[in-house]
Amino acid sequence: MADRLLFLVLLIGSVAGIFIARDALPQATGVVIDVAGKPAYNFPIDVNRTVTLHGPYGKMVVEIRDRKVRMKEAHCPNLLCVKEGWISKGVIVCLPNKVVITVGGGTAGPKGVDAITR
Amino acid sequence: MNRKRLFFPALFCLSVVLLSSCSGGNGSVYRQSKALMDTYVTVTVVSPSKDKAERAVQDAFSTIERFGDLINFFSDRSELSKINRNAGIAPVKVSAPTLDVVEKSLYVARESEGAFDPTIGPEIHMWDFHKKIKPSDSDIREKLPLVDYRNVVVDKKNSTVFLKKKGMMLDLGGIAKGYGADLAVGALKRDGIRAGIVAVAGDIKTFGLKPDGSPWNVGIENPRQKNASDEIMATIRLSDEAISTSGDYQRFFILDGRRYHHLLDPKTGHPAMFCRSVSVITDKGVFTDSLATAVFILGPERGMKLLQKLGMNGVIVDAKGNIHITPGLKGKLTIEKDH
Repeated sequence: MADRLLFLVLLIGSVAGIFIARDALPQATGVVIDVAGKPAYNFPIDVNRTVTLHGPYGKMVVEIRDRKVRMKEAHCPNLLCVKEGWISKGVIVCLPNKVVITVGGGTAGPKGVDAITR
Repeated sequence: MNRKRLFFPALFCLSVVLLSSCSGGNGSVYRQSKALMDTYVTVTVVSPSKDKAERAVQDAFSTIERFGDLINFFSDRSELSKINRNAGIAPVKVSAPTLDVVEKSLYVARESEGAFDPTIGPEIHMWDFHKKIKPSDSDIREKLPLVDYRNVVVDKKNSTVFLKKKGMMLDLGGIAKGYGADLAVGALKRDGIRAGIVAVAGDIKTFGLKPDGSPWNVGIENPRQKNASDEIMATIRLSDEAISTSGDYQRFFILDGRRYHHLLDPKTGHPAMFCRSVSVITDKGVFTDSLATAVFILGPERGMKLLQKLGMNGVIVDAKGNIHITPGLKGKLTIEKDH
């Protein structure tokens, strides 16, 4: 009886633990699009789609495909956001349009780094 | 028999509980990015609760935004623009953060004997690195007399800044992001956050330790990246230290086979050619940001001497790709890739 009770306690604890661990990485699998400093969209990275946004420099098209994200179309002066190309983790920024696309939780890059100095 | 059958499932459950505790017991990691100071800012915090983390991160963003508004070169309403408009005319009363960052920029200018010069404005704003516009040599020569940090007068008592010559322009782009990272970390600490990272573009300030007790792992970008797999040249483990990198690959264009980048030598007005990238590590972002530029301009030999004089650490990739590392980084730095 004591073994079963122990098993039950540990089972509840482990299920709770899974939710604690998920909460620890709230953005780990998503694509978050901030517009003008506020979160506007949150998409799963594993569903292909295109998202059309509008900013001070007109239409922007964000494409999510095969667990990667890119700014497919924009009309800002330097098109740095479009030139960034496909990313699977990190951030694409269009400063003129005040759009920040965060993929997989932000700046963490290859080799498990917490940030990149560039 | 029953005990044997239950042993392994129980062990599995126990291990899951312990693993979860590791990630949650000392707090969890939360991260958010926002476009500020004409770049993107990422704030990472370790916090026991999501609500506390979000409040602190928003406070950090607001702190950076307020400071960015004070020193925005392109905004007519900023204190920096007011200083520039009044060059050669009158001292301008400024707020404490503006006075402080100007003072610190002059300190670095003095220590580097002008290799870092916050009055580089008239030169740098003749270039357009996206449109590949290089000013003529005569235009560069004409503006050079306006570049001299010794013609900036800071009056601490009256909290004013004065540029002695008409046409002078302060540009704090080489120091403000690091200063902003310092301010944001101060805000996070006041909000009870004990560990995290503030990254204002590539100017990074770390504090405390990760939930597993290890230092923060920061990648240094490869100045000659060829593909997605060699983005990182080296990694460095940091806690309560800042790091900034200046490189010839950040804003540049190639013209007639020559690389023209944004790190101008204040004495010539032309891009400095001794290095590919310089990363500086010390306790304050305001100094890593500005000294990365200074050391880049000075080159590996004089740059290493300056770092040693100031008791700071650095990684220099010279123009041939050789790496120069200060002794203080032993055990903290791992070289990953060709550069």
